[in-house]
Amino acid sequence: MFKPLVLAAATLLTLTACGGGPEPASGTGGELEGATLVVGAKDFAEQNILANLTAELLRAHGADAEAKEIKGSANTRKALEAGEIQLYWEYTGTAWITYLGNDKPIPDPAQQYDAVAKADKDKNGVTWLPASGFNNTYALALASEKATQLGVTKLSDLTGVDKPTICVESEFANRNDGLPGLLSAYGLTVPKDDVKLLDTGVIYTETDKGQTCTFGEVFTTDGRIKALGLTVLQDDKKFFPVYQGAPTLKTETLTKYPQIAQILAPLGQKLTTEVMQGLNAQVDVDGEDAADVAKDWLEKEGLLK
Amino acid sequence: MNVRRQLGLPLLLLAALAATYLWVSSRQLDSMEARVLNADFIRDAALSHLLLTAVATTLVVLVSIPLGVLLTRPFARPLTPVVMAIANVGQAAPALGVMVLLSILYGIGTTIAIVTLVFSAALPVLRNTIVGIQQVDPALLEAGRGMGMSRGQILRRLELPMAVPIVMAGLRTTIVICVGLATVATFINAGGLGDIIVAGIKLQRTPILVTGGVLTAVIALGLDWLAGLAEKYVRPHGI
Repeated sequence: MFKPLVLAAATLLTLTACGGGPEPASGTGGELEGATLVVGAKDFAEQNILANLTAELLRAHGADAEAKEIKGSANTRKALEAGEIQLYWEYTGTAWITYLGNDKPIPDPAQQYDAVAKADKDKNGVTWLPASGFNNTYALALASEKATQLGVTKLSDLTGVDKPTICVESEFANRNDGLPGLLSAYGLTVPKDDVKLLDTGVIYTETDKGQTCTFGEVFTTDGRIKALGLTVLQDDKKFFPVYQGAPTLKTETLTKYPQIAQILAPLGQKLTTEVMQGLNAQVDVDGEDAADVAKDWLEKEGLLK
Repeated sequence: MNVRRQLGLPLLLLAALAATYLWVSSRQLDSMEARVLNADFIRDAALSHLLLTAVATTLVVLVSIPLGVLLTRPFARPLTPVVMAIANVGQAAPALGVMVLLSILYGIGTTIAIVTLVFSAALPVLRNTIVGIQQVDPALLEAGRGMGMSRGQILRRLELPMAVPIVMAGLRTTIVICVGLATVATFINAGGLGDIIVAGIKLQRTPILVTGGVLTAVIALGLDWLAGLAEKYVRPHGI
């Protein structure tokens, strides 16, 4: 007796929300009263910020929501499937290659998103909410002074560089969508000795110094790009997969709380690669707490009013 | 010590290598696995691992034994707690952290990896040299002096030979520590079997991870076995 009533009420709310016109998307309210939602995060700053942004926003709409960090992509995904967490932010490229078992990424971001969203829903019952504007993909970067000096702005300019040296970490060094594929896509040959294997954290500092290596592997939303003033080379042949972020949740959760889609929509629209870099820098470079950074940003953007 | 007992371990290690080889080669390797699991890559990684271990261990011997001897001389005894504290810190501090800090300060590469290894693995040899010399029976030294031996002769003919078994035990510990720690050299472009192990972890490819792990274990146990043999030869007879 109780359940159908709640469902009916929820549907009614959604209906009124849909018909309500301009106001509801950014305003807060109690539409999620009674819902307990755990937002998962993989174990790095960006994910913690995203989970906190999401949880904070859901709380503002009446839900009992919290962010929870989990180690690694695979475990986070498993937690979603097992119902330990109700939603988390995933990247289109990761899902396409890792969970859906494809080895060729789709270069166009929108097509990639559509393909992932459809396959994941049909195969696994996981729904992807509309994608955000940020793309956390691989890229090569170099110190900005060096970029000006060498006159490089895009990856195909590398063919004109005399003996480029590249700092990478071991995953990128071996993945098909990493260095091996990159070199063959751009027709480059770099001797093994000119590829330096380093830990991710060291790559940023060494690339900034520019002595060990001219170019370094970076993640495009990493805060250190901004903090160190690195120039990211444009992937003009669109070799790297698109890792566009979007909230994912089980289809049954969305059916139960359809308002979630609307509540999170403005978040996705406002999060661009540059915004993400800035937020990540506050956590990774300035050492601030992800929850505080998330709350401050939401308030500044007026999403908590 | 009979021959069969001495050959048991190397045979076991060879069997482990053969089993790993057969298991890996029976699998259909995907392109990422094939990029790591080939003769060239494995040889480079194993050789650089041995080089790191050998250079670091040699440096530890060259630094720790003279230092240990010096610290047992009466005039230097007040310094002993200070030096031991530094060596203890070296062993206790996480090698990866030390190495990354050093590389941020002084740049990356093999030299920094070796410095880290020496810093982290010097304690066993140093401590055992000191203990080995201190445990020599004072009556024996008294007898040496009674026979008219100089201080240098007492050191060379009595104290050092008596300390050898204990120093060698420390050396074996140092070697095993070095082999284990050299796996973190990969994070600063210094090669070693860490190249294989970390690739296995990051790519979530079990064959790569297992190959790197088995090779590291085989090298550690193999070198320990060799050092065990050496220990028997350098141990002075008749003492």
